[in-house]
Amino acid sequence: MAQPLVKKDDDRDDEADYSPFLGIEKGAVLQEARVFNDPQLDPRRCSQVITKLLYLLNQGETFTKVEATEVFFAVTKLFQSKDIGLRRMVYVMIKEISPSADEVVIIVTSSLMKDMTSKTDMYRANAIRVLCRITDGTLLTQIERYLKQAIVDKNPVVASAALVSGIHLLQTNPEIVKRWSNEVQEAVQSRAALVQFHALALLHQIRQNDRLAVNKLVSSLTKGSVRSPLAQCLLIRYSNQVIRESANTQAGDRPFYDFLEGCLRHKAEMVIFEAARAITEINGVTSRELTPAITVLQLFLSSSKPVLRFAAVRTLNKVAMTHPMAVTNCNIDMESLISDQNRSIATLAITTLLKTGNESSVDRLMKQITNFMSDIADEFKIVVVEAIRLLCLKFPLKHRALMNFLSNILREEGGFEYKKAIVDSIVILIRDIPEAKETGLLHLCEFIEDCEFTYLCTQILHFLGIEGPKTSDPSKYIRYIYNRVHLENATVRAAAVSTLAKFGAMVDTLKPRIFVLLRRCLFDNDDEVRDRATLYLNTLGGDGAVVQTGDDVKEFLFGSLDIPLVNLENSLKNYEPSEESFDINSVPREVKTQPLAEKKAPGKKPTDLGAPLAGPPSTADAYEKLLSSTPEFASFGKLFKSSAPVELTEAETEYAVNVVKHIFDAHAVFQYNCTNTIPEQLLENATVIVDASEAEEFAEVASKPLRSLPYDSPGQTFVAFEKPEGIPAVGKFSNMLRFIVKEVDPSTGEAEDDGVEDEYQLEDLEIVAADYMLKVGVSNFRNAWESMGADCERVDEYGLGPRESLAEAVNAVINLLGMQPCEGTEVVPKNSRSHTCLLSGVYICNVKVLVRLQFGLDGPKDVAMKLAVRSEDEAVSDAIHEIVASG
Amino acid sequence: MILAVLFANSEGNILVERFNGVPVEERLHWRSFLVKLGAENLKGVKNEELLVASHKSVYIVYTVLGGVSVYVVGKDEYDELALAEVIFTITSAVKDVCGKLPTERLFLDKYGRICLTLDEIIWQGYLENTDKDRIKRLVRLKPPTEF
Repeated sequence: MAQPLVKKDDDRDDEADYSPFLGIEKGAVLQEARVFNDPQLDPRRCSQVITKLLYLLNQGETFTKVEATEVFFAVTKLFQSKDIGLRRMVYVMIKEISPSADEVVIIVTSSLMKDMTSKTDMYRANAIRVLCRITDGTLLTQIERYLKQAIVDKNPVVASAALVSGIHLLQTNPEIVKRWSNEVQEAVQSRAALVQFHALALLHQIRQNDRLAVNKLVSSLTKGSVRSPLAQCLLIRYSNQVIRESANTQAGDRPFYDFLEGCLRHKAEMVIFEAARAITEINGVTSRELTPAITVLQLFLSSSKPVLRFAAVRTLNKVAMTHPMAVTNCNIDMESLISDQNRSIATLAITTLLKTGNESSVDRLMKQITNFMSDIADEFKIVVVEAIRLLCLKFPLKHRALMNFLSNILREEGGFEYKKAIVDSIVILIRDIPEAKETGLLHLCEFIEDCEFTYLCTQILHFLGIEGPKTSDPSKYIRYIYNRVHLENATVRAAAVSTLAKFGAMVDTLKPRIFVLLRRCLFDNDDEVRDRATLYLNTLGGDGAVVQTGDDVKEFLFGSLDIPLVNLENSLKNYEPSEESFDINSVPREVKTQPLAEKKAPGKKPTDLGAPLAGPPSTADAYEKLLSSTPEFASFGKLFKSSAPVELTEAETEYAVNVVKHIFDAHAVFQYNCTNTIPEQLLENATVIVDASEAEEFAEVASKPLRSLPYDSPGQTFVAFEKPEGIPAVGKFSNMLRFIVKEVDPSTGEAEDDGVEDEYQLEDLEIVAADYMLKVGVSNFRNAWESMGADCERVDEYGLGPRESLAEAVNAVINLLGMQPCEGTEVVPKNSRSHTCLLSGVYICNVKVLVRLQFGLDGPKDVAMKLAVRSEDEAVSDAIHEIVASG
Repeated sequence: MILAVLFANSEGNILVERFNGVPVEERLHWRSFLVKLGAENLKGVKNEELLVASHKSVYIVYTVLGGVSVYVVGKDEYDELALAEVIFTITSAVKDVCGKLPTERLFLDKYGRICLTLDEIIWQGYLENTDKDRIKRLVRLKPPTEF
């Protein structure tokens, strides 16, 4: 009985498995292509061969130049056939094969030109597309007349073919295509939907650099009715562009907002979505403007179409970054998306929820995420881990739950990048939330007990060496570290030896026990491990007794090299072994931090575990080292604050200069980071001439010029000022870059001997009150506020006058004071009429300051504010009030 | 720009791959990325149910159509919604050519016509035609009916 059944199945399989292209081979197909040369053409056979050629091309097969030329010539012969099916195939084949045989293209142009003027519309359309694919500028001028006619052709296929050709040709021959404006304009009014769509796209591309023309185009079309939904989407995008560009120049009502809002009621989902997204992308969009768009997106969240759900959640995710409160209404819908089959949607939903959630919803959210994490891929998990890190920094009180979550996922399976993201997050939390330190370190210790990644192991051991000795009970980490010496590879063992030695050096009571452990390492079978152990045993001193290790020894063993590692590497490479030993003092100390390419990309905050530990430790530390190693500034004492770089030139100018303001107790140093973007120039002796006439309390005391500034190799010049000690003096400085410029021969890279002195005007720079305030957060504001006490409290009320919104007023005051917002209070819920914002910071001379700001709307737009300041010094409390009063 | 259109069979073998503006050296990477994406996510998915993913600033919409899977990759103006429109056009036109949901065999049998159909839908990275009846006529070099 079973026999026939099996046989039947076999038959079916045979049929399904048999491919018409089974065993296809390029050489054989090229042979077959000779049928194109037959005097009696067989259209069917020819079509079959072309199909085979297309199959080969679509599989990624490449033809050599000779092969392509041969096929191309043969295919052109097929124009003799009148068979319509074959002709259509020929058009495709020419388009596919021509690029690698462009010099022989001329063979086919006469046939195509004939087709382009043919009475058969469809020949015209196809010939236009093929010609535009293979044409060059000279040929284009010959056929331009026909193309212009085609754009306004009655047949929509011909018109579309010409318009899309125009879009492609605009890249190569813009000046020719721009001459077609009138015809394209006419086509925009076409009754055929697709013609309108293509014409609008081309017209916009032709005019995109003429802001006024685009504005006019959008104005006229938003009034009329655009038929095609696709064209309507384009129109929405263009109007959004107009809104963006007019934002800075026009006051009053936003242009085209009503149009966008109207599109939210369009019948095509595509248009509705496009309008909603456009509204969310408007600069400084208000809650009132945002609401209808969010409502529409919320509906899409529960759509049956995954694409719509994805689009909606992606847009809401972006909105959550700037207007988290506006998105909270969607949270319930978003929570149900966590279980969405499409993991991209689920991940976006989770990260959005993490951005919009409040402190009370964290625990519930974490429970949901735990279930979700087990069935997504690593790349999604990394996104979630990063979102959790941000959440933890926003709600430090929740560090326990979030840290536990991170340590749990750290124990589960995962690749290197994922594990690294988790470890980086834990390190950042340890650094920013003091209360999380000990638990975080223990989590890391447990992780290295079973960690397959050498890189992560060594990094964690290094980090333990820095943070572990500072904890209340450093001894509990020793076991984890010493276990590594037994169980791991040589690299990890060496790192563990160094970490042990750090504990020995920093914690005197542990020294005897550490010495016992280090002595055991003398028998390791790896040279590096033994060498390290020997070095530490001989230098830490005391021979294992409970004695203090000298500071100079600590500095020698564990101090940073104080030199950019790249510079050291270069110097070592250039060093030739000789009688003279390598001198570390000969290594240049100037930090080359700004290659051009990196500068153009928006700066990413260094979150890498390795970065803050090795090399220049953090930006602040790097600055401090740089300044203290410069003799002119070495006597200024401890650096209080360095500002973020302030750009003094527009983007993409000849010389890019930004400045970092370094504030000391009695001095201010301006560090000008200069980049020369002209390959043909070398700048020498560059200095910045600073005019401080509008900064009376500042007197210039030193200036350090930059000896040489070659192309794309940033350098720094400094100017230092003296100012009254401990006083937050403010002022305005105007800057001029002065230098000697020398021509460089780009082929040899050599500069001419003679240079010319030149100057370059930079933008002005200000020192403001916020420069004297360090952003230092507190994890529990209420506790900090209570323990500070009301002794030095100063309270006063201020009218801030008419403001755009409450949020804008809150932001302005935060920026004015330069303090760290606490507990997420910098975010103002939408439609709220009052808000409390908590700030903390450290004022110059290391005075802790806490600020409680209470805002209220007084009338429709007027904002009133009550400012309560507590600090360790009443003069400082008064100073904060003065900043607000004068700001 | 529509960066790529790719058809694969159920085992992940490529049937059609057309790239626009993607450097040759990156194509192999894209091919294996898409096939892997499909292998991980397309099991048990209903015919023509769209799946979506994004990778940096590039969007991918993909689906199953009988015995073949279809992937469309786009960037800039061709975001997930525009690509959904593109893939809808492609799937309905391919079904039209095959007369039903295609098996791999049927797809290969109609290979030439499918190439012509794709040529009408996407031209060097831009969407050109969206209506399947019109595409069907254009492939046969017949003018559209509304004309």
